Amino acid sequence: MNELALIVFAPLVAGALAWLLDVKGIKEAIGLIGAAVPLAYTAMLYERASEGISFAVNLGVFDITFRLGQLNWFFVGIAVLVGFSAVLALVSTAKDSYEWLFALMSLSGVLGVFLAADLMTFFIFWEVMTFASFMMVLHYNRSASLKYFLLSVAGAYAMLIAITFIYAKVGSFDFGAVQTVFAQDAYAKMLGGQATFSSTELMALFGLFLVAFGVKAGMFPLHVWAPDAYSETNQSYTSMFSGVLSKAGVYGFILMYILIGTRLAVEFGAFRSASKFGYIIAFLGGLTIIVGGLLAALQEDIRKLFAYSSISQVGYILVGIGVGTALSMQAALFHALSHALFKGLFFLIVATIVHRTGKTTFADMGGLAEKMPFTFAMAFVAILSLAGIPPLVGFASKWVLFEAVISQNLPILGGMVFFGSAIGFVYLIRFTYAVWFGQRPTDLDDTKDAPLPLAIAMTILALFNVVLGIAPGLVAKELNKMFGKEIIGGNLFVLDLGFGKYNALAILIYLIAGLIVAAVIYFLGAKVRRVPVTDTYQSGNPVTMDYNLTIRRNFFLPLKEALAFWLRISFDRLYRDIGAWVEDLAEVLRNYIYNGNVQSYAWYLLIILLILAMWGV
Amino acid sequence: MIETALKALFILLYATFVGFMFMGIIRIVTARIHRRVGPPIYQPILDTIKLLSKKSNITHGLIYDFGILYAVGATVLAVMFIPLGNVGVLRAYGDLILITFLLEIPMLGIMFAAMSSGNPWAGIGAQRALLTLLAIQVPLGFAIVALAEYYGTFSTYQIVMAQQTMGWSIAHLPLLLAAIAYDLVLQAMFGKEPFDIMIAPGEISLGPMVEFGGKHMGLLNIQHAIALFAETLFFSNIFLGGGVVTAFASPILNTIASLGVLLVKQVAVLLVATFMAAIFPRFTIDQAAKFYWKWPTIIAALGAILASL
Repeated sequence: MNELALIVFAPLVAGALAWLLDVKGIKEAIGLIGAAVPLAYTAMLYERASEGISFAVNLGVFDITFRLGQLNWFFVGIAVLVGFSAVLALVSTAKDSYEWLFALMSLSGVLGVFLAADLMTFFIFWEVMTFASFMMVLHYNRSASLKYFLLSVAGAYAMLIAITFIYAKVGSFDFGAVQTVFAQDAYAKMLGGQATFSSTELMALFGLFLVAFGVKAGMFPLHVWAPDAYSETNQSYTSMFSGVLSKAGVYGFILMYILIGTRLAVEFGAFRSASKFGYIIAFLGGLTIIVGGLLAALQEDIRKLFAYSSISQVGYILVGIGVGTALSMQAALFHALSHALFKGLFFLIVATIVHRTGKTTFADMGGLAEKMPFTFAMAFVAILSLAGIPPLVGFASKWVLFEAVISQNLPILGGMVFFGSAIGFVYLIRFTYAVWFGQRPTDLDDTKDAPLPLAIAMTILALFNVVLGIAPGLVAKELNKMFGKEIIGGNLFVLDLGFGKYNALAILIYLIAGLIVAAVIYFLGAKVRRVPVTDTYQSGNPVTMDYNLTIRRNFFLPLKEALAFWLRISFDRLYRDIGAWVEDLAEVLRNYIYNGNVQSYAWYLLIILLILAMWGV
Repeated sequence: MIETALKALFILLYATFVGFMFMGIIRIVTARIHRRVGPPIYQPILDTIKLLSKKSNITHGLIYDFGILYAVGATVLAVMFIPLGNVGVLRAYGDLILITFLLEIPMLGIMFAAMSSGNPWAGIGAQRALLTLLAIQVPLGFAIVALAEYYGTFSTYQIVMAQQTMGWSIAHLPLLLAAIAYDLVLQAMFGKEPFDIMIAPGEISLGPMVEFGGKHMGLLNIQHAIALFAETLFFSNIFLGGGVVTAFASPILNTIASLGVLLVKQVAVLLVATFMAAIFPRFTIDQAAKFYWKWPTIIAALGAILASL
């Protein structure tokens, strides 16, 4: 059997087996093997990815084809790594075998999407992925899952329409064939000849793909499903859901560039140094960063905060893709990797907290750093990485992205990404403050640290955050291979873009040197005495544990007030209103058309007959 | 290797010393504006020595100590990347965006330490500090974008060299706008009125600093001195032509002269900030956010758009 088929179907088979057997201990083992097999095979195929491996099976009507190239390997690598960590964490947090089935099924789906070599395979696995993740959410919350399902269905059918449309004109689903036709079209258009697709048709295709991939990626204003769906499910699963499944949308956008990008660029021209259609994606990405970030800061629920944060970070990737130069594409891919790494880690931390305390709102937490030191250390890595603190991987990717955007003379996008970096800082500190520091509510006094499987899963992702941060050249080398030329120069520790350089090793060395200098001064001073949290300054008044010293609610109230006007505009409400309106319409139609009056049905018959008579039947 | 280490040590000592002098200058100038005599210029050094030699120190846990060390370490890191005349250790890697980030991350350490104390005033202070950071980021971002687009490079050292031939940045209209916005941002970065909202003495009992005493506060004083030096140095480098003097034959004289030139520019930046601080009362946090998102943003965005044309 081909390795690619093994990679894609191993999780699915393992999930089904785990569901059927449903024996404690065995189902976990099977599930783990199901996630470990793709990981092992992906690692083995690293050398052979450059030559391209393919797999095809004929299903009569159409073929299912997979192909592995450099780009696919990169995305598959992200998926299997974060997927394996998430599955490992599921060992501790899964409630029943139902979760094993659908979590592994969605891993299969996303791997199929990344490996697909034709549009039909792409669509089928896209649907498998959507369905499985919907079932995961449905297990916890019906209304959140339905919202996710409706938007996903809208996206998926937009894609289906686009695919049938392309098939009708091209006559093939194969990526290569489609790409050739569109590239020929682009040349024809440039030379003033006749093209297969008119510009209206092209605009419709772009719009349909924008909706299809925008929904999955959580692009503003199609992001509303994400906060509910990410929070109302098993948080171990969310680390895959947000880390990997949102990358399917990103991958879709890149695929759109590969398939019809040249044609779109030729047809619609350029806005400054970006193509016009790309600028639309980038601008929506910029809005996604800002909206996601600001809303993350105002959340009162730990899961919601990270859901919005996830949306915000995907915005960066969209900006990179939208700008559309080779460098910005590399930056987007780099950030896709680092987003998966740190956001996967974050949701595992959230899973640990929820698993150990059973609480999700900030108002119920505090002072956990002393009770869960290991998880806090992991959170520290994740915080530094997401906030973009050198020398972690989050900074390296963000840095490349910033330079890629700004060097293209796109000042408004530059301002947007800058704002995004500050807002990331802001909501993370809120998380840190409310969960880890300050006074601990007495009911959390016997909280234990992370269980072993979760701890291992977190360690894997944290190690990657640190190692790839100190040696960003490893990723840059992979990305350069994908584009066939050296776009990000430098060596293992240095990224060199020509107009800017980043040396992660120097940062590490000088940070350590700075810490040593500070530590020397610190240890030369007199000894410190440990005091309890209640031994504190409260305007000179005595404090006891009866007082709540930590600000746990509405931490960013001034921000809320400053943004009061903008917060009144809610896309969530808009979609709800449209939904209510459609339901009302259905009710009205039911009342008027199926009104239970025999005579009106007779009238319908008469009207139809009249119409037929007018046609002259 | 040893030469680099010596250079780094020199930069560190010089930055700390000059930073403390700057703190003294701020106090003297403010006093003179109020028709007071004020303390001697070396007063902040005495304060720091006193704080470091306190016999009794308290701690609220590991992060409380580590946060402070991290803040100092990160500030030392930041100052190494900024070209200091022709002394810079890592000036080849002195990337605009990197330095902008590095100047912000010491705050992370201070926040962590302050919040781990569990004091409610520290919580309020952290909230205000973060909102100030968020507010200044928009004009700051546009100012940096304007610089990068005007010069077509992100290397601070190359920007300094470009200003040798093209004249100071503030002589060009797009960058003048960026410089005005950045100068308004500096007020908040220094923690000076009208944007000293995060510390706000008299209003929230020093905010994040409320629980620190003894050697923790002493270390924070050192951090503040180096940060003051780094921020003024960065501004002088990117907007005021930096300090590259090649008039003398001897490299040592050149170095001393360029440090002197830089010092004059840094003091000028500092004095503007002090004058503003002495005559303006403090803003509330929502006023500050609305202010920064209005005028400085418009000015800086205009500069960025002009620079990109």
